[in-house]
Amino acid sequence: MQYMLLIYDEEVNWAGMSEADRNAMMAEYFQFTEDLRKSGKHVAGDALQPLSTAKSVRVRDGSAQTTDGPFAETKEALGGYYLVDVESEEEALEWAAKIPSARIGTIEVRPVVVFPVEATA
Amino acid sequence: MKVLALIWADESGWERLSDGERREWYGKYRAFAEAAGGKLAGGDELAPTRAATTVRVRDGKTTVTDGPFAETREQLGGYFVLDVESLDEATKLAAKIPGARHGAVELREAAEEEAA
Repeated sequence: MQYMLLIYDEEVNWAGMSEADRNAMMAEYFQFTEDLRKSGKHVAGDALQPLSTAKSVRVRDGSAQTTDGPFAETKEALGGYYLVDVESEEEALEWAAKIPSARIGTIEVRPVVVFPVEATA
Repeated sequence: MKVLALIWADESGWERLSDGERREWYGKYRAFAEAAGGKLAGGDELAPTRAATTVRVRDGKTTVTDGPFAETREQLGGYFVLDVESLDEATKLAAKIPGARHGAVELREAAEEEAA
């Protein structure tokens, strides 16, 4: 079963770090990603550009409106994610706790819906 | 460039739909995916936020709580990974995602480095 591990942290935490601390954190991320890949549980993952580059798109009455910024302003923001393929929710939570940002932010673990179209057709 | 299109919508509305109405929406999503073709590099529907769990580690101690990270009026219900030439192209594609008509599609550019 697949789970999305959504990484929410404060951008200010990253921006406020010394270069050495930031490099150490990045090294931890590389290590975590390598461990996850080696385990065969890694499906996908990305770090996201800062919120200042976010755009939101809505279509109302056939007309598209684009605004700058994320959908919701929250103190912690989505900074990246991993998609993992694991045996159980417990295992997903174990991987989530190993993500370096779990120590400074929050990891939201969401089950992925498997082929709903085929399942309901 | 790789852009994540996060689909935010009121999940209670989705849960109120009949099976037939849901099949209709899945049909719209399938049509979008077919039309987008090679511009789509991935995507998933997420289970409702009541199935969400949040994990935090403080002072070496892991805390697990039920529910999503933040309670919002609309919830993250799914995403597409877009493989596009520009943010402008991503915006045009995002406007065609069925959820953009009742919710919002948030576009987030992926970082270049392969940290994840």
